[in-house]
Amino acid sequence: MKGKFSELNLIIGGVGGQGSIRASHIVAIAAIQDGMRARVGETFGAAMRGGAVASHVRIGKEIFAPLIAKDRAEIVLALEPLEGLRNAVKFLSKGGLLLTNTRAWMPVDVNIGRAEYPSLDAIKNAVEKLGGKFVAIDATSLAQQAGNVRTINVVMLGALVGAGKLPISVETLKQIVKENVPPKTIDANLRAFELGFNAIQQS
Amino acid sequence: MTKFADIIIEDAPGKRVLLMGNEAIARGAIEAGVQVAASYPGTPASEILETLALAAPKLGFHAEWSVNEKVAFEVAAGAALTGVRALTSMKNAGLNWVMDMFMTLVYGGVRGGFVIAVGDDPDAHYSSNEQDTRFAAFYGEIPCLEPADPQEAKEMTRYAFELSERLELPVLLRSVTRICHASGDVELGKIEKPERTPVFDRHWKMPWRGNVYGPPGPVEKHGWLHGQMPQIKKLVETLPWNKLELRGKPTFGIIASGLGASYAREAIKALGLENKVAFLKIGTPTPLPEKLVERMLKTVKSVLVVEEGEPVVELQIRGLAKDMNPEVKLLGKLTGALPSVGEINTDVVTHALAKLVKRKLPQDQPRELIKAEAQRLIAPRSSTLCAGCPHLGSYWALKQALRKAGGDVPIVNGDIGCYEQGGYGMVGKEYKPGSANESVRHPIESPYETLDTNYIMGGGVGLMQGQFQAGYKDGAIVGVAGDSTFFHACIPAVLNAVYNKAKGVFLVMDNSWTAMTGHQPNPATGKTATGEETKVLLVEDIARACGVEHVKIVDPFDLKSTTEAIEEALKSDKFAIVVARHVCTLQAQRMKQFVGKRMIFDRDKCTGCKICVTFGCPGIIFKEGKAGFDPILCNGCGVCVQVCPTGAIRVEG
Repeated sequence: MKGKFSELNLIIGGVGGQGSIRASHIVAIAAIQDGMRARVGETFGAAMRGGAVASHVRIGKEIFAPLIAKDRAEIVLALEPLEGLRNAVKFLSKGGLLLTNTRAWMPVDVNIGRAEYPSLDAIKNAVEKLGGKFVAIDATSLAQQAGNVRTINVVMLGALVGAGKLPISVETLKQIVKENVPPKTIDANLRAFELGFNAIQQS
Repeated sequence: MTKFADIIIEDAPGKRVLLMGNEAIARGAIEAGVQVAASYPGTPASEILETLALAAPKLGFHAEWSVNEKVAFEVAAGAALTGVRALTSMKNAGLNWVMDMFMTLVYGGVRGGFVIAVGDDPDAHYSSNEQDTRFAAFYGEIPCLEPADPQEAKEMTRYAFELSERLELPVLLRSVTRICHASGDVELGKIEKPERTPVFDRHWKMPWRGNVYGPPGPVEKHGWLHGQMPQIKKLVETLPWNKLELRGKPTFGIIASGLGASYAREAIKALGLENKVAFLKIGTPTPLPEKLVERMLKTVKSVLVVEEGEPVVELQIRGLAKDMNPEVKLLGKLTGALPSVGEINTDVVTHALAKLVKRKLPQDQPRELIKAEAQRLIAPRSSTLCAGCPHLGSYWALKQALRKAGGDVPIVNGDIGCYEQGGYGMVGKEYKPGSANESVRHPIESPYETLDTNYIMGGGVGLMQGQFQAGYKDGAIVGVAGDSTFFHACIPAVLNAVYNKAKGVFLVMDNSWTAMTGHQPNPATGKTATGEETKVLLVEDIARACGVEHVKIVDPFDLKSTTEAIEEALKSDKFAIVVARHVCTLQAQRMKQFVGKRMIFDRDKCTGCKICVTFGCPGIIFKEGKAGFDPILCNGCGVCVQVCPTGAIRVEG
């Protein structure tokens, strides 16, 4: 991967409060540490919690715009499946990967009966029809297993690294995780990283 | 955790770090030795002052959250009048608040560098309009700098102080959401220590400099202002952010300003047009580097102007082309080559450019059809208040009180803050325009359908008075606002209501923080921007001082007493204020002042009536005909227990 690498376009999608922006910053800081250039474009709504959030991470040698063009994301990393689908349909490249958490965060529109939540199978189907690859792990359970449900983002980062999709060394990424989470949660976050890393090897 | 506060003040020239555009602007000000910074929170610009407030105690300068943008502007301007470097930052709409002082301060200008950093919001992601504040630079006859990325945001901010001192005028730094809230690798520069001693001379270089009425008076000072900008005409031609790339004899050119230049470069790359089109990157939309523009216009046959917002550069190029080369074909937002509303991006610019240079973009039509099909699977995700938010209680109580005492068609006037989500509606629902000639009552299925009007900070409490003075009789007249909005913009309107004998209910949802923009402190919090303790100001004290006689304070977690207080206020024959006070749940959790309860949703007792769903808490879910809760989202505030008519929701133990 490292040899002919020139650019990686990654979207980290989720719901406000899940930590997708933190995760995207971790990837970007690690990329800078490893000598690359980085851009992160954050898109989120007005709400503190509960809105759709997507971070566009671009790393490589020559990057200008903060947002990824449509059909140009090699990877969509989703902390929530519906947000994975939302971003995959618009941005995932043919042959790209949707790596998603399995646990849904119900939109209020679904709760009041004004919309339906798509099943994981339907999401998988749609992504595969688009020529994409679909991989899902139960990151929420793994985060709980790691001792802190707020480490879903780091579980997913671990999975992303485990899938061999980042042009960044595992050591650098772990180090940046350590430096960018609250000190009291370092152990839980490192456990979360390992759990995500291992889960992807088994899936 | 490497403390961000340490990174931002590290004097390590050449070091590359990841900074958000707003942080880069703050760093630029730090490198320039800023001594006073003042702002009012507003997305997408809030992190500028947040970052400066982290650095201020360590570097020994002053940073404050002012009560509103106008005061912030004046605080910074006052500092600049004493010769120190000062910055004020705000969102697009914030600039509307400062225009009075802005338009007058320029009649005589400043002594120390004064930077006005504004975060515009094309696409209105977080704003009530898409206004382009670059126009204000023309209005006030001051220079405007517009960065293309976070690195430029830092360099330009630093340079803006120097330029300001050279012209003795404020300088506008215009950023947009995709710069403010985009991060990038930024190379740090050297930090100048903020150690100027403030001085004052009322006749410094011009008699009565800081007193616009003092002789020579406003007209002479207006003349002085006209003479300033022409002084930098030559200078802007050589600034590193204005750059012409012209090789050979291309027939097509792009003039791109600010972030537009970043998108245009991506488009050129995507279409393989490197070195085949002329490229003029603009970093100063005013004054434009006219010589560079002239070289471009005299070389090519057609030009695409790319910029974020209104056609500010395009209009000027049109004017210049008349003298420089009337034959050149100009394309942009005015010609429909680029969309005139919303934001642009790489795709939009690539398509526009491909069309103009007659390149075919690869199309995968079958895949587009599959995408359209997949799109139908995607449920909307309407914005909601947070689980356990006190505003949910306030809105529930308001709905119940209006049902009892609000008349046929009550009007609820909204305002700006988290509670404005009470007017966002439901994305998954269709709303049809009406044509009735009488008042129409619309159902409220969720708290997100409560607000009938909503415009700007402090607007609601003024609008409600107009509805009363017009003689509206079809229902109650209500206004809602938060604590920070109350201090920012509502006080004169409250005074006005008492003075002019307006009636109505003003519900102040006081959660003690400026929550929506990221939990900044305000006069209700008891803390300053840098975390120092300060006096807590109470909404009710100010309301009473303004002459309001009916003032009631309630806890919105107690739905019954809140409902009763609003109902009583609706029946009052005076202008009435109800303060619904409960600290923001997110902040209470962060400060360990909140202990959640364990909730039980009893499926046997649940009749599936969905009343709890209409409470609007995102922690409550509805599945297979029964209500339940999401154990991760729910924080156990327990307020929903009061909503359930069948006792199916309980607190454990």
